[in-house]
Amino acid sequence: MSRKEMRSISAALAAATCTLLGSGISAPVDAQEEQAWDFNTSLLYYGEDGDRVKDFSVSAIARRMFVDDRYLTLGITVDGLTGATPSGAIRQDVAQTFTRPSGNAAYSVAAGVLPLDDTFKDTRVALSAGWQQPVGETSLINVGASASKEYDYTHFGVNAKYAQDFNQRNTTLSAGFAYSFDSLEPVGGAPTPLTPMLDVGDTSNRLGDQDKDVLDFIFGVTQVVSRNLVVQANYSYSKSDGYLTDPYKVLSLVDGTSGDTLVRSLTPGVEGPSHQFLFENRPGERTKHSIYGQAKYYMSGKVLDASYRYMTDDWEIDSHTVDLRYRIPFGADRYFEPHLRFYTQTEAEFYMLSIPDSLPIPSFASADYRLGNFDAITAGLKYGWRTRNDKEMSVRLEAYRQTGSVPSSQLTGNQAGRDNYPDLNAVILQVGYRF
Amino acid sequence: MNRTVGLVAFTLLLCAGCASMGVEPWERDVLAKQEMQLTTDELEAATDDHIYFSKEASSGGRGFGGGGCGCN
Repeated sequence: MSRKEMRSISAALAAATCTLLGSGISAPVDAQEEQAWDFNTSLLYYGEDGDRVKDFSVSAIARRMFVDDRYLTLGITVDGLTGATPSGAIRQDVAQTFTRPSGNAAYSVAAGVLPLDDTFKDTRVALSAGWQQPVGETSLINVGASASKEYDYTHFGVNAKYAQDFNQRNTTLSAGFAYSFDSLEPVGGAPTPLTPMLDVGDTSNRLGDQDKDVLDFIFGVTQVVSRNLVVQANYSYSKSDGYLTDPYKVLSLVDGTSGDTLVRSLTPGVEGPSHQFLFENRPGERTKHSIYGQAKYYMSGKVLDASYRYMTDDWEIDSHTVDLRYRIPFGADRYFEPHLRFYTQTEAEFYMLSIPDSLPIPSFASADYRLGNFDAITAGLKYGWRTRNDKEMSVRLEAYRQTGSVPSSQLTGNQAGRDNYPDLNAVILQVGYRF
Repeated sequence: MNRTVGLVAFTLLLCAGCASMGVEPWERDVLAKQEMQLTTDELEAATDDHIYFSKEASSGGRGFGGGGCGCN
């Protein structure tokens, strides 16, 4: 018997059953029929101001539904990154020269300018796969795997999540874990922490490749409160082990009185750093705890999406994030969605603007601005519509701004009069298409 | 240990409270809308998570915050 014949017979049987039951459902078979793929695709431009990081990214998530509410999800993202990022060294009133991370060349930064490392060019490909299916009447299991590859970084990960419904599906408890195993293959080899940046061609302080692993647990409860309100609360725990240092970041070694970076004596005929810089070092472990709460509220067509996250870790970083989205429909199939996000974090206990030579060199030190004390705000607007062929499109434009400060207790001599924190302004433009 | 016991007790209390909340199965028309899902656009959420993971010291909360990028 052909598939077509089988279908028409089952449709006839279903129609007959419906007639017997007095139901008006015309094509009940369709509900159990396997559907084609659904695609969610996006193009992203992320651009920081000046010469800093730019990212062009293409992503797609393909989802296929199988009978009995089982789903296969496949994802791919390709990122092309260019631009420069702060090296961790501080501004000086004179020009500074640095050895490139590869150890094969040098670059210079003009007087008064924040040192940026411009060797930041990379292509990243990330893949993911997930399988979701019901287990019994009221629970769901989700398993997945992910992998990504950059020039100097490789990631493999697995994850699983279990969700159980209670109370007529008004309450859902969920628990999940993810394990990630990453290896770093830094250009020129990872440097021995807290050793000096050396002359071009001198690779005697390079360690080679490193690795780290991250274990995450998440526990959540989702609750339908009323016909128009659903809330969620999650607790997550994350433990990282291994090489958590950024192999490309340095700190300036400064005079304990003037705060100016110590000049380095150069061998004639050899290119090398003009001043004294030390490679950073972070602890080999980090434990983070997060509490996350979200509410979605429907108000005669408009939807408010509000969330809050508190994170604390054993590097002494505490952060608060508030995210607000408000979807305003107009017409039958268009909407605007303004978005505001506020973020604030305290600095890591080992964050230092520079290392004064009057103090012993600490065990851990980093001048990475991302471990500093800063606030960030994102403001954006999304516009979405349904196309003539019944597909969904959206465009969003957002501005992201970070403003930070270095605790005055960390400023030495001339540093007090300088702009020490590398503020960041970025634009996010994303176009989405679902079909 | 006391914190764990406290957390479990708090969760149970919360769930007991939850039992009196909610809607009947036929009252789910609004909740079933795409714009009422907790994550409306998975790709946009993943993009944001990736950007903020790269530029800030926090990650995760909504979902997993693990590795996967050399940017932090």
